[in-house]
Amino acid sequence: MSENPQTADGTPTDGTTTDGTTTDGTSAAAEAVVEVEAPPEEVTAELAEDMHIATGTREPILVSSGVTMQFGGLRALSDVNLSLHEGEIIGLIGPNGAGKTTFFNCLTGLYTPTSGQVTLRGRAMPQDPARVTEAGVARTFQNIRLFPSMTATENVLVGRHVRMKQGPISSLLHGPRFRRSEAEAAERAEKLLAFVGLTRFSDELARNLPYGDQRRLEIARALATDPSVLLLDEPTAGMNAQETEATRQLIFAIRDLGVSVVVIEHDTKFIFTLCDRVLVLVQGELLVEGSPDEVRGDPRVVEAYLGAPPEEVSAQLQTGGAADGAGTAEGKSE
Amino acid sequence: MHAVEETPRLSTFLSQIANGLVLGSLIALIALGYTMVYGIITLINFAHGEIFMVGAYGGLATLTYILPTAIATTWYFALPIALVAGAIVAMLIAVAMERFAYRPLRNAPRLAPLITALGVSVALQEAMRVFYPGATAALPFPNLFIEGAVVIPIGDGVVIRYVGILLIVMSLVLAFGLERFVERTRLGRAMRATSQDRDVARLMGIDPDRVIVLTFAIGGALAGVAGVLYGSYLNNINIDMGFQNGIFAFTAAVLGGIGNIRGAVVGGLVIGLVKALGGQYLPGGTAYDYVWIFVVLIIVLVFRPQGFFGESERVRA
Amino acid sequence: MTTTATPETPATPAARPRHTGRFARLLDAAAPRSTVLMIVGGVLTLVGAYLPWVTFVLNEGPYPEKATLNFFVDPFGVTGFRLHLVILGLAAIVVAALRRIPARHRIVRGLGIGATVVALINGLWITVEGGGLGAITASEGTIAFGSIVALVGGLVTVLGASAGGLERKPVWTWTLPWWVEWILLVVLFVIVLLLVAAVLTSGGQGGVVNPYAGVVFLSLLAALGGAFAALNASGLLTWVSAVSERHRTFSVIVLLIVALLLPLTSAGTEYWMTVASNIGVYAATAIGLNIVVGLAGLLDLGYVAFLGIGAFVAANLSGAAASQIGIHLPFVLVMIISSVVAGMFGAIVGSPTLRVRGDYLAIVTLAFGEIFVRSAQNNIGGLTGGANAIPNIPAVGVGDFKFSDSVVIGSLRLPSGVLYYFLIVLLVAAVMLVFAHLKNSRLGRAWIAIREDEDAASAMGIRTGPIKILAFLIGAMLAGLAGAFFAHKTAVVAYDSFRFLESVTLLAAVILGGMGTIPGAVLGASILFVLPEKLREFSDYRLLLFGLALVLIMRFRPQGIVPDRHRKAELTDPDVEDVAKEGPGPLPTRVEP
Repeated sequence: MSENPQTADGTPTDGTTTDGTTTDGTSAAAEAVVEVEAPPEEVTAELAEDMHIATGTREPILVSSGVTMQFGGLRALSDVNLSLHEGEIIGLIGPNGAGKTTFFNCLTGLYTPTSGQVTLRGRAMPQDPARVTEAGVARTFQNIRLFPSMTATENVLVGRHVRMKQGPISSLLHGPRFRRSEAEAAERAEKLLAFVGLTRFSDELARNLPYGDQRRLEIARALATDPSVLLLDEPTAGMNAQETEATRQLIFAIRDLGVSVVVIEHDTKFIFTLCDRVLVLVQGELLVEGSPDEVRGDPRVVEAYLGAPPEEVSAQLQTGGAADGAGTAEGKSE
Repeated sequence: MHAVEETPRLSTFLSQIANGLVLGSLIALIALGYTMVYGIITLINFAHGEIFMVGAYGGLATLTYILPTAIATTWYFALPIALVAGAIVAMLIAVAMERFAYRPLRNAPRLAPLITALGVSVALQEAMRVFYPGATAALPFPNLFIEGAVVIPIGDGVVIRYVGILLIVMSLVLAFGLERFVERTRLGRAMRATSQDRDVARLMGIDPDRVIVLTFAIGGALAGVAGVLYGSYLNNINIDMGFQNGIFAFTAAVLGGIGNIRGAVVGGLVIGLVKALGGQYLPGGTAYDYVWIFVVLIIVLVFRPQGFFGESERVRA
Repeated sequence: MTTTATPETPATPAARPRHTGRFARLLDAAAPRSTVLMIVGGVLTLVGAYLPWVTFVLNEGPYPEKATLNFFVDPFGVTGFRLHLVILGLAAIVVAALRRIPARHRIVRGLGIGATVVALINGLWITVEGGGLGAITASEGTIAFGSIVALVGGLVTVLGASAGGLERKPVWTWTLPWWVEWILLVVLFVIVLLLVAAVLTSGGQGGVVNPYAGVVFLSLLAALGGAFAALNASGLLTWVSAVSERHRTFSVIVLLIVALLLPLTSAGTEYWMTVASNIGVYAATAIGLNIVVGLAGLLDLGYVAFLGIGAFVAANLSGAAASQIGIHLPFVLVMIISSVVAGMFGAIVGSPTLRVRGDYLAIVTLAFGEIFVRSAQNNIGGLTGGANAIPNIPAVGVGDFKFSDSVVIGSLRLPSGVLYYFLIVLLVAAVMLVFAHLKNSRLGRAWIAIREDEDAASAMGIRTGPIKILAFLIGAMLAGLAGAFFAHKTAVVAYDSFRFLESVTLLAAVILGGMGTIPGAVLGASILFVLPEKLREFSDYRLLLFGLALVLIMRFRPQGIVPDRHRKAELTDPDVEDVAKEGPGPLPTRVEP
């Protein structure tokens, strides 16, 4: 008549929560919710090996050239160029309605650009979300769109769908190849959950996960498709300072896997401390592109992006405050 | 020689057109209920066809058990009384249905209300079969209008019964009245507001529950009127009439663009014509006329689910 | 494995639970004396069982005899519903008295509900058939308050249990030596077999033969339901299912063998074999439908057409005189062809899913179903016999040996129809296997993902179109398979068997049992096809009750009897956002037993 707590079944929860912490000066209440933890290094290394993403090429892998998107009389995007290199993190910022999400949808095949084109490793991007994913571009959604009544593990396994080949006949027969494929997928799911720090929730339904963990699960699910490019749509929306920090660590770790990342964010501080390069979209046009420091100091950004007296906002930007008030709290804490 | 062959063909064609229009306006009346309910709460009220059936039995019961024979056989008394009685019975059932079956599921996933609607449909049909005396077989229904017909002298003659004309006229008048009601009155505006956004409507001081009840009541009453007219035209009613005509009406509502009153009428007329002409001219004859309607239904749902009238003029955004 | 994951903390004994809802005040008042109430309720149930129930002697026969005053002639021979009440009452007293039993209140509540329903059913039946309340109270010098006392007893039990505060279901994690668990499983499965046989045969065949069949059957069902609820509340069922999960292959084999042994029980007559075979046909079809509706989330309202297509194809290839095609193929081949043809039609019916979603898709499938019925009714291409049906389909057989014959092995004589029963058991088992294997594969996950969020699924690289059509195709193939069997077993195939109402019934079977689960579909099919068999005296009201039941299920238990962990959320009110924002979600928790 033994009673072993299920959560402790071979999970390293206790270990990671203590030694992975990198935050400083956080309130105890917030800490109780989420500890900031970078993915364990050995997991990252194993995953990088499994995923085989980095090719060492110097050519840009994702290129958008002259992408223009017209909805009736409304021009949502005009002539947007972007080139993403391997292992790069690019940030995309801009005020509401600047066309960030539209641009994302062009990159992921949900929209077909009115003119211009998107290429992945020199090939035209397919115009169908499923094929885009197959080609190696994965995304997360601004409003979390997990499969709410599937467990965390099952969510990640769905992400493996595109890399598995077992059809109905093979599923019916449950032969050795099927089992091997399932076992591999399960193993990968386990690693991915460990990577994003959700091992303890692996058998929990996605809908029961805390908000921040749902976002992490969405990232794990996207990574399960072995993407060479990961597009994150507002990955820290609604997160507190600790969760935001954890997400930053996670995205760095994802870059270390060899995945190139494009992030849409409102939180400029987050973008400036995360990205190698930042693109500013205003009214569908690419206003500025450059390193975080360049962008941060650019008066045009200050003026056009914020539409406020330049001096004030400039000061805010310099301190890394959030543009639209979403993250002013953590701006001060630094 | 040629002309002699042509005119009977023409008269057959015109007769079928007339039949189609009569059936079509009947279907249009039922379709109004579908389209309004769907417009307001996006529910396919499967049981709406049964409301139509119940209305017909309500009218018949009034004629058979309540009215003195002298009145029941005098058309200018019997017709309005039966129509009102059918409308009231149907309306009560529709409102009760909304209150007890659908309202508790207002926020449930979409499968639940649809299955509930199926259940209500089966239950209503069976309740009528079990509890209405003699309903296990088709029951005779008196003609409630002037006997006789207009005969248009083409070929063998195109016969349109007066009661058929009544049916067409009443449908058009009621549909027109309904449209005016929705467009012009305060309650109508409340309905349109509720269909656009229930929460916003609530903020504007509209009680969505009342609006929804009203929608069911109006749809039910129209179906009840349709039921009595159906009995009066075909001279017999049975408990299966609701399911079949309900599906036709649903098809009509979709065809016209669901949520669109004028569309429902046009859709109804098209369906009526498809059935009449399909039964006459398509392979298989009348045995397959139902099949053609279902084929139309599938084609419309697959290729033009927004209906002929598209997005414009919809009660619901 | 089930883990209890309710967000609220369990009520501590010190702080009595505050009740909410309609009966809050009553429950609060009863709370301090809950144990006493439970015991009193149990005692009343016992007393009620031993009191006379009717004031007059019903007609002859085993059941009514026991239901009259004659009962006291033989006070220890308690049978029928009285036995059920005695057992439920005693169990309630014992459990209520033993404070150390975990989830005591919840268990007792299950028992109490069972007793209440048993008392209610019999009391109502006697009242209705016996000509009024006099039949269960006092009239003509005799008194018979048994049903009322038992009913009060049951209600008091439920009141006491509810007032005491319902605990969370405990989770047991015992592990026994493997051979002990094996023996345990075998014993349990045999018990299940005997119960199934008892339920199936209880009250006899019904109809004119035995007017009490319905009420005897319902009593047994209610009593078993109460016992089942109590066992479930105790957490033992969950534990047993965990044990059988540990020995999955073994369990499956034993279950299959046990199912094949049904002809050796009291249900081993030709009549019950036929009933069981029919249940099997609908269970197999319901499992196929479960792929489409339960897994992929696509509502199909014309599904029975595939059963019909399978049946008509088989009928035409059977060598029946009325068939259009004058060939007679071996049964196995016929099954394959029927299945493939039905599958092709499934793909056709499913193809609108590429463009149509939700309610509209349901209507499209309904339209296809109606087109099938109409065409079959009109004897399309001479293939369906129209109103004359296709009669005299020969039985499956090899040479002179027919499947419809009875089987004699040594001194054991099995009833005729037993071979068909064996065949359908194997068929259902195969269909279950297909369902289970597909559900736990890349394909099954893709279906569920599509059901949950189609856009997100396609963003995960799932080509939703072909995968949805595949759901229709496979579901239809399974139905076609069942159809081929159906044609040979019933020997007549008529369009009448495949009407809209049958589609709704199948859908109801899937929903009633629990969407997305195998036991659910089988259970649902069994209930929906046994009930009409048993309740012949209510046959007029059958469909009426069926319609009302659909409404009530959707209202009060939309997740069905055996809910799928996944599906539970789907049909109850999903509010992912709220759950998400409430902060840390509940971890898998357990309650100390």
